[in-house]
Order: sequence, then C-alpha cells, then structure tokens
Amino acid sequence: MTSHTDPKDELVEHLPAMRAFAMSLTHNSATADDLVQDAVVKAWSNFDKFTPGTNLRAWLFTILRNTYYSLYRKRRREVADPDGTMAGQLSEKPEHDGHLAMTDFRDAFAQLTDEQREVLVLVGAEGFSYEDAAEMCGCAVGTIKSRTNRARKRLAELMQIDDDDELEMTDAATMAVVQGTNAS
Amino acid sequence: MEQQIDENLRRVYSDTANEPLPDRFTKLLDQLRQKERDKSDTSPEDDS
Repeated sequence: MTSHTDPKDELVEHLPAMRAFAMSLTHNSATADDLVQDAVVKAWSNFDKFTPGTNLRAWLFTILRNTYYSLYRKRRREVADPDGTMAGQLSEKPEHDGHLAMTDFRDAFAQLTDEQREVLVLVGAEGFSYEDAAEMCGCAVGTIKSRTNRARKRLAELMQIDDDDELEMTDAATMAVVQGTNAS
Repeated sequence: MEQQIDENLRRVYSDTANEPLPDRFTKLLDQLRQKERDKSDTSPEDDS
C-alpha cells in the first residue's frame, strides 16, 4: 500500500492549474490564492474520500468551485464593484498588439457569468470532457453543452461590441473570433 | 470560431498556470504534512 503513489504528493502539480481556475472565477490574484488555499486545506482533510486512480485534477477543481460558490461568490458581491475596478485596470493601453488582444479577451471574459466562465475554463481551457465537467458542476451533460455554446457566443458578442474602436489593433486570432460571429 | 475562442482562453489561462507557484503554497503543504505527522505520531510511520 505504501508503494502506491500518494495523491497528496501529486497535489502540488495541480496547484498552478487550480490558481488559474481560481483566477478565472475571482478576477483577483489575492482572492484567487486565498480560494486555492481554502480548497487545498479542504482537499487535504478529505483525501480519504478521493478514489485513487480517478482524475485528481477534476476532484480538486470540484472542491475549488464548491468552495468558491459557498464562500467567495457571496463575498465578491459584497465588495463594491470588483469587476469595475478590475475592468479599469485591465483596459489600460498595453504596448504590444498581442497583449492588447489578450486584455480585450480578458475584459470580455470578465463580463461573463460565473457559470459561463467556469464552463469555458473546464471545457475550453482545461479540456475536460462534457461528462467530466457535468459531474464537476453537478448538472446534466446537456446543460454543460448548451452553457458552453452560450458562453462562447456571448464572449464573441462582447468582444465585438466593446472593441469596435480597437479592432484594427487586435491580433489575427481575435479578429477571426469577431469575424466568425459576423459570418454566422 | 469555437477553436479561436478556446485558443484565446488557453493563452489567458496558461498565463496564470505558468506563473511560478507562490511560496505560501509550498509552506501550506509543509504545514499540512507537519500537522499530519504530529497527529500520526502514535500510529506507525507512513512517511518513507
């Protein structure tokens, strides 16, 4: 039994991804790290409930999102206008075109709902299957699919509406996203 | 369109995911391990 890899030893490998997920939920690096810390402590005391051989990252992400929804989402609403401040910081003019495209994207991403951001990170960025994402979010596979589609559509809309005057400066990938909406 | 959105997503996401891990997390894990060691002092060691 002792020769079996302890999932606790693998936890550290998932921390960067947990931070990225937390960041996409909270939009604030200090809050994100607090959230990750809470999730790690919670995971640690529940490791006996983790089934070895199953997806550790999915398990950790589930704990992280549950922690976010039970503690942080409420807290975030109580803070006056965290989005506004963040959006202001993020839309400062960066020097490089590529960077500008990234902040445009971040801006738009920040305007999505928690559920939309979550599903885009899980399915789009992390590459979890719809089935895994559904299990992690505690909802039906169909819900995840339609939520993902709506989130992508909304993201494309936001980028088109908000960045009209900056379109000429965005990079090819962003342009393509915007044009993709136009074409459809 | 889907592909391009995901491409942007992954770029933004990996920005954070590629950051060096702050010290607080290595310290946190050390603390958790230490606590566990203290707790399991009575039981046979499982820490090789």
